[in-house]
Amino acid sequence: MSALPQTAGREITFRDAIRDALFEELGRDPSVFLIGEDLRDPWGGAYKTTVNISAVYGNDRVINTPIAEESIVGAALGAALSGLRPVAELQYLDFVMRAMDAVVNQVAKVRYMSGGQAKVPLVIRAQGGGGRSSAAQHGNSLESWLCHVPGLFIAHPSTPYDAKGLLKTAIRLDDPVFFIEHKMLYMNKGYVPDGDYTIPFGVADIKRRGTDVTIVANSRMVLYALEAAELLAAEGISAEVIDPRTLVPLDEATILESVAKTNRLVVVNEGVERCGWAAEVAAMVQKRAFSDLDAPIERVCTRNVPLPFQPDLENYVLPSVPDIVTAAKTALYFN
Amino acid sequence: MHQARWIDFYRTMTRIRAFERTAREVYTAGKLPGFLHLSIGQEAISTGACAALRADDYMASTHRGHGDTIAKGVSIEGAMAELFGRVTGSCRAKGGSMHIADFSQGILGANGIIAAGVPIAVGAALSSKLRKTDQVALAFFGDGATGSGPLHEGMNMSMLWQLPMIFVRQNNRYAESTPLVEHTGIVDVVQWACGYGMPGIRVDGNDVVEVYDTVNTAVERARMGGGPTFIDCETYRHYGHNIGDPGTARPKDEVEAWKARDPLERHRERILENHIATEAELDTIDAEEQARMDAAVAAAEAAPKPELHEALEGLYVDEQLGKQALQGVRQ
Repeated sequence: MSALPQTAGREITFRDAIRDALFEELGRDPSVFLIGEDLRDPWGGAYKTTVNISAVYGNDRVINTPIAEESIVGAALGAALSGLRPVAELQYLDFVMRAMDAVVNQVAKVRYMSGGQAKVPLVIRAQGGGGRSSAAQHGNSLESWLCHVPGLFIAHPSTPYDAKGLLKTAIRLDDPVFFIEHKMLYMNKGYVPDGDYTIPFGVADIKRRGTDVTIVANSRMVLYALEAAELLAAEGISAEVIDPRTLVPLDEATILESVAKTNRLVVVNEGVERCGWAAEVAAMVQKRAFSDLDAPIERVCTRNVPLPFQPDLENYVLPSVPDIVTAAKTALYFN
Repeated sequence: MHQARWIDFYRTMTRIRAFERTAREVYTAGKLPGFLHLSIGQEAISTGACAALRADDYMASTHRGHGDTIAKGVSIEGAMAELFGRVTGSCRAKGGSMHIADFSQGILGANGIIAAGVPIAVGAALSSKLRKTDQVALAFFGDGATGSGPLHEGMNMSMLWQLPMIFVRQNNRYAESTPLVEHTGIVDVVQWACGYGMPGIRVDGNDVVEVYDTVNTAVERARMGGGPTFIDCETYRHYGHNIGDPGTARPKDEVEAWKARDPLERHRERILENHIATEAELDTIDAEEQARMDAAVAAAEAAPKPELHEALEGLYVDEQLGKQALQGVRQ
């Protein structure tokens, strides 16, 4: 049902999809380099997304840094402004808080503030999300914060195929991209075609076709939404699952077309609910498709607390598959 | 000797002074929006340091950046129009006084955030090393940045990677209103440089020749792969933190004592004592630079403001994706 190609490829992990995109882009363009903590071999990154890259391309293309996130991003910006195409890694999305001035006040704004002089071909990768008891400082989903910053593009893939194609696009764009990888997706496998391919930003992928309710979800929540859609199907409810793949720019048209068909919308996002991305999508849809809606828009997000450590508590506050099923039924007045 | 350049130094310092005096006048007359942080009194540092740089070297400045950016080569007309918020401004009126930049001159930007320019300059120095060029990068920052994290991260990174980096501290002794002794634990921060393993030198920041010589030595070593240098320049700003500062933070006798050490006057006297130029020749430079400012003001006042649609342009390079990113917003 989804756009995943099923031929002429291999099944690889999300982690290897990321790693292969980095490896291939380093080979394609000598101005690309990686900068961040613990990237070099034999360690190859905290989540092993840079394994066997410094061993092949050398330490001049893979820079290990001190633990100094503001300067990792700031230095990557300086390199981007002076002829290179850095891919910076922040190890944990939570650590972006240490780099927030560099990301928000510098990277995102320098082109605008300079009247369009500056070009910032910079990718900032970070691994985020909950689900493995990493507690309140290593499991945040902060994509909504980043969406709030004019000047960034935000990619947040859910599959190996999307991850590789979107990362290649991110590296080739002349604008700054924040690229978020969910820590619980790294070991998931999926088909990835052989050879070079890219996926355009701002184009959603309909991961499952349906007619009764639209579920818009991002990153790991896409997989939850697909599970929920299976459960709903068993009850005779046909859910359409839309993965925007990039949150900025957002493929509004695909979402609106789906809502025009189903008249019901559930938005799933792992960030905490208050002022989050799901609210933004809901606001967009109610404004542009109010007459298409037959029910209030449902949100399924993390409850408004820090992530607790204990697994049962963590699962309780994170969105779950049953939460999505319930929300879809609510939108269909089943409850 | 470089006495032949002393006249150039004099002209640049005069240009900065004339620019800022003129900006102060038009600001006071209510013609400029926003903030204005003057560096009058600090011209020797901007001038001497940038004179040691090539056009293709990189420089990052601060919120008090008029002097630095002028010394590095920003167009006077563009900078003045920027202050006026005109479309002919160096940043098309999107940046203003605190964000003047000219990437064609290696100016990575003034910066409204304390110490934020340091990592950007460090990245340019890293880039120069990775690209195997002999470009260097210089970061200006004030004493107010001395206790700020990015400065220390940048010093460590520069030493670690042996980058062609020059740290230039414009120590005007006040972080906004707070005197040095209330915001920095030691008087001689050059000791910190030594702690990071790099040469640290304290200079009279009101002596343009001393600044030039010191930065020049650092630049030459950086170009040859010798790594970073930290230079602490002692100076003083003649005016308050910004226009609007009532001037209550600093003792009047201190202000007067430092005004007596005015860097421009000192350099003028030195030129005359050494018979490098006559009083009349220097007066001509003064008049030429002021005339240029008057012309820049007239041109800025005559120039159009940006069209309102420009507020929604110039954010992204990719116009199609940029347009999509702005979808749904109030247009």
